[in-house]
Amino acid sequence: MTRSTVAGSARFRQRKLSTRQALQILREDEVDQVDDETQRNITKVDTGVEKGEEIEHHLQAALSASQAAAVGGKVAQIYIPTPDAIQSSIRYDRLYALTFPQPATYIRFSSTVEDCCGCPYDLDDEDDGYLKAMNRKRNASTQCSEDQFEVTMDVLERTAQAKQPYAAVDNPPVLTLEEMEPAFDDEMTDSTRPFVKEIYEHWKTRRLRTNNRALVPSLKFETGAETDDSDPYVCFRRREVRAIRKTRGRDAHSAEKLKKMRKELEEARKLLDSIRQREALKREQLAVDRRLFEQRANLRQVKLNLPEQYKPGDEDLLINQRPPKSKSFDNTTQRAAGSQLRQQQKADGRSVESDLLTLQDFLELREAQIQKDIDMRVAHHKKWNEGWVDLTRAPLTPPLELNSGSSFRTATTEYLPTPPASASSEHLGDVSADVHHTKRPKVDPVPVRYASPSYDGPWQSQTSFRRRIGRGGRLMIDRRGMRLRSKDELDGLDDIVVDRFKYDRDDDDDDEVPTYVIDPNDFSSMRYRARINHPVPAQALRHAEPPKQVQAPAQASTTTGRLPGPDG
Amino acid sequence: MAPRGESQDRTNTPDPVEKGFATINTLRTGVKAFVDKDGEKRKAEILMIQTRKGKPSYYVHYEEFNKRLDEWIPADRLDLTQEVEWPAPEAPSKKSQKSAAPASKAQKQPKSTAGQKRPRTSTTSRKGSDTPELTSTTGNIQARQTRRPSLVSGGKENRPGSDQSISVIAPEIVTGTPQAEDSDIELPDIQDAAAAAKASAPSHTQPFSREEEIEKLRTGGSMTQNQTEISRVRNLSRIQMGEFEMEPWYFSPYPSSFTDADLIYICEFCLSYAPSLTEFTRHRAKCTLLHPPGNEIYRDDHVSFFEIDGRRQRRWCRNLCLLSKLFLDHKTLYYDVDPFLFYCMATRDKKGCHLVGYFSKEKESAEGYNVACILTLPQYQRKGFGKLLIAFSYELSKREGKLGSPEKPLSDLGLLGYRAYWAETVVDVLTEDGRSSGISVEDIGSMSAMTTADVLHTLQNLNMLRYSKGQHVIVLTNAVLEAREKQKEKEKIKGKRRIEPERLQWKAPTFNASSRTWNW
Repeated sequence: MTRSTVAGSARFRQRKLSTRQALQILREDEVDQVDDETQRNITKVDTGVEKGEEIEHHLQAALSASQAAAVGGKVAQIYIPTPDAIQSSIRYDRLYALTFPQPATYIRFSSTVEDCCGCPYDLDDEDDGYLKAMNRKRNASTQCSEDQFEVTMDVLERTAQAKQPYAAVDNPPVLTLEEMEPAFDDEMTDSTRPFVKEIYEHWKTRRLRTNNRALVPSLKFETGAETDDSDPYVCFRRREVRAIRKTRGRDAHSAEKLKKMRKELEEARKLLDSIRQREALKREQLAVDRRLFEQRANLRQVKLNLPEQYKPGDEDLLINQRPPKSKSFDNTTQRAAGSQLRQQQKADGRSVESDLLTLQDFLELREAQIQKDIDMRVAHHKKWNEGWVDLTRAPLTPPLELNSGSSFRTATTEYLPTPPASASSEHLGDVSADVHHTKRPKVDPVPVRYASPSYDGPWQSQTSFRRRIGRGGRLMIDRRGMRLRSKDELDGLDDIVVDRFKYDRDDDDDDEVPTYVIDPNDFSSMRYRARINHPVPAQALRHAEPPKQVQAPAQASTTTGRLPGPDG
Repeated sequence: MAPRGESQDRTNTPDPVEKGFATINTLRTGVKAFVDKDGEKRKAEILMIQTRKGKPSYYVHYEEFNKRLDEWIPADRLDLTQEVEWPAPEAPSKKSQKSAAPASKAQKQPKSTAGQKRPRTSTTSRKGSDTPELTSTTGNIQARQTRRPSLVSGGKENRPGSDQSISVIAPEIVTGTPQAEDSDIELPDIQDAAAAAKASAPSHTQPFSREEEIEKLRTGGSMTQNQTEISRVRNLSRIQMGEFEMEPWYFSPYPSSFTDADLIYICEFCLSYAPSLTEFTRHRAKCTLLHPPGNEIYRDDHVSFFEIDGRRQRRWCRNLCLLSKLFLDHKTLYYDVDPFLFYCMATRDKKGCHLVGYFSKEKESAEGYNVACILTLPQYQRKGFGKLLIAFSYELSKREGKLGSPEKPLSDLGLLGYRAYWAETVVDVLTEDGRSSGISVEDIGSMSAMTTADVLHTLQNLNMLRYSKGQHVIVLTNAVLEAREKQKEKEKIKGKRRIEPERLQWKAPTFNASSRTWNW
């Protein structure tokens, strides 16, 4: 491969072409003609066509025409002549009678040719003639159809092929009808059976004429004979399994597999060995038991022979298992264990299954436990807070609707007023509400309100009251919705009266509402929240010190922390 | 694939050819005589002699013409007024064999004639193998000597076993510089390539033994094969398929009894074959297939493509291969169809999806081929379907993110088809807007899923790769641009058929280890 063969007159060696380097794209008139002239002739390129065929006249003509065109010559395109296909004289529409319903979507199809073509045997002229002759002898009701004929021939052919696979080679006698019988039962309908005998005769004649070769010309597949290799008609040979390439990864993988298998076998062996030992021990024990019994029997016999020694209770004492404490205990437990084991093995399906917990049961159980825990804690919590109202900012357990709701009664309406919004969800979002919400969406024993109610509820405009019992059995009435008279109005009243209404201004400006600020990040409150939210075992909870909490005596009508969120 | 024809022998080895006048009675197979063909005399080799209707009939191959033009001729077309060329001495023994025996026995010929391929060098690709050990056993020293130069071969050193067998016949051979096989040109220097092409022309021939060939078929998963197997006399005379009737071009291993039939009927949908109209009519009454039996992966207004797995549709794919072998000389049916996928193009009408052409593709190609065999059925040729098939094969490669190239050797029609497609594609890439900054050969390849070797092949062939001012440039020659313009105008009138990638519903199928190793 000398490089000097570059287009004859090249004055210097050209640089090697790099396929990665961007090449300039030029038009013909942009190229230096002097440089270009030397390259006017096209280098021969390997075509990829068999060399013996490359020289063929038609191909050469076509190639040189296109080359001439490439250098600017005017050449008509040249085709390589091929024999023409002509319109056939067959009756296409009759032969291809089906119409194709084109589906709207792309076709997905996996049936094979065998699935789609029905009986693989096709009647030829000879069969057709025989069938016609056969039918002529029969009356109209017992005519053999072409399909029936084909099915029969097909069964005969296939049975022969199955029973005499090498018929073409060793030339055995044609199978008799009796030999064929078994196959008919499986493959033929009753309507076809009457024709079998006649068709068999026809089939036999044909087979005899062809040296018992298959009637349908088939492709030649390999037979394993020497001549296969050079026979051009032998086609579609099986490809031998290609050796799997050995790689380190594959080796490691198979080593790993072998190791695992060895380990498993080893374990199985150990298990069997243990069983063997156990059974041996059992046998030993049985022998001991037997010896024991025999000894006792002997002893009894001895005692019976010596009447002066014999006592009435001795019989039981000796024959019945006299409990030599430790020994008999061992005995029974072992027995029990053994029998249990056996039982389990025997009653495999049922007993084991009944022992097993279903996941559903388990989950339900856990659910119930959690629920119980929560209920208990709620009760506990309620107990602490009895008579107390949590007025901290973002209280963990806002005043329960149940309590407050039921106790407030509007002065005018029958229905129970909507209690004050304890907190908006945004505020609670960080702690308890979220946890409760996500974990226990269904059951919600702690009536926590998550969304702000429509705030222009009745209580703002309507007067309502609530009776509570405070510490020391004090009775308190909370009022709500009482319209305060304006300051001006109050001016006229005396101090005592004013003082009495001091806490009644619930619907006044927010700033004036007493808010008990508690730092949510305060250690104690955090701990409290953590406890509340963490499933503490009931015991621990009981013993736990009630967390400190800013408790404020319920104040008339300002009970609920009027927190920024729900304010109307 | 290295070119391995031996035809070039004759250019550098002056064969001793025995010439003389012959009479009808002395004619035998292997004789080359002049034959009247369309008013001109062409030298043709007699491949087979048969007596038909009491008259001798000769199957002839015209030298330097494609085998598809081989034909049976009556004696009166032979021109015996001119001298004929006699085959080499030991030929006579095969006469009886050959004329009596149909092709099934023909393989013995290579054995007995192995040493006498010389006189028929121009058709060497026809006549069986130069199985090395056979050559040596013939002891035809003359043949060996004349052949020797041709054994200076390269490119095959890496093929296990080939060295050995060569050394058996000719221990004295010069082992030539290993020549780069064309598929090996990674970063080809054009001049190198050119030089290689020139150098290879006279000397690049390789005896290719049958064993090697089979091994190559087995391990390579190839669909094409070599000269040892393609020297067959066409066995079917006419076939009928769909609405058409046509002549087969080459041998295909249909059941050997079909040779006697005047017309073989092939079902258009399941591709089953029948030797008579009665059987075919019966078959058609039962056949319900209306399209290639696979999944449709592409559909546009004109054509559909179906993907068919050779392993799952063995029967259909075998039928397809038998059919296509009639028109593909280098196709082999030696091994089964399992490791291939078949992409079948069909036109649709109310009768069904009519197979127009197909290409097969190895499920896994070690050599990066994206097409193994490709064929447009003769009744649909010269209608632009070939280009569509090629375009589709590259579309699949693009989807796979691979570069592809067709398996070699190409046939004459295949070469022209591919060249036309490559030229069009490359020119279109080059004339796209925004190309002023230039483009590398690799970029052209990755945009079109063509291998760099094919891009270079195309550029060189169109004389577009030039050397100017110390660097390589791509020149869009006026000729090329004009041709493309002309073509575009034609497309405007006729309507261009093209593959629309967005209509392709396809993901490259993957195969598990067991199907890869082809055990079943």
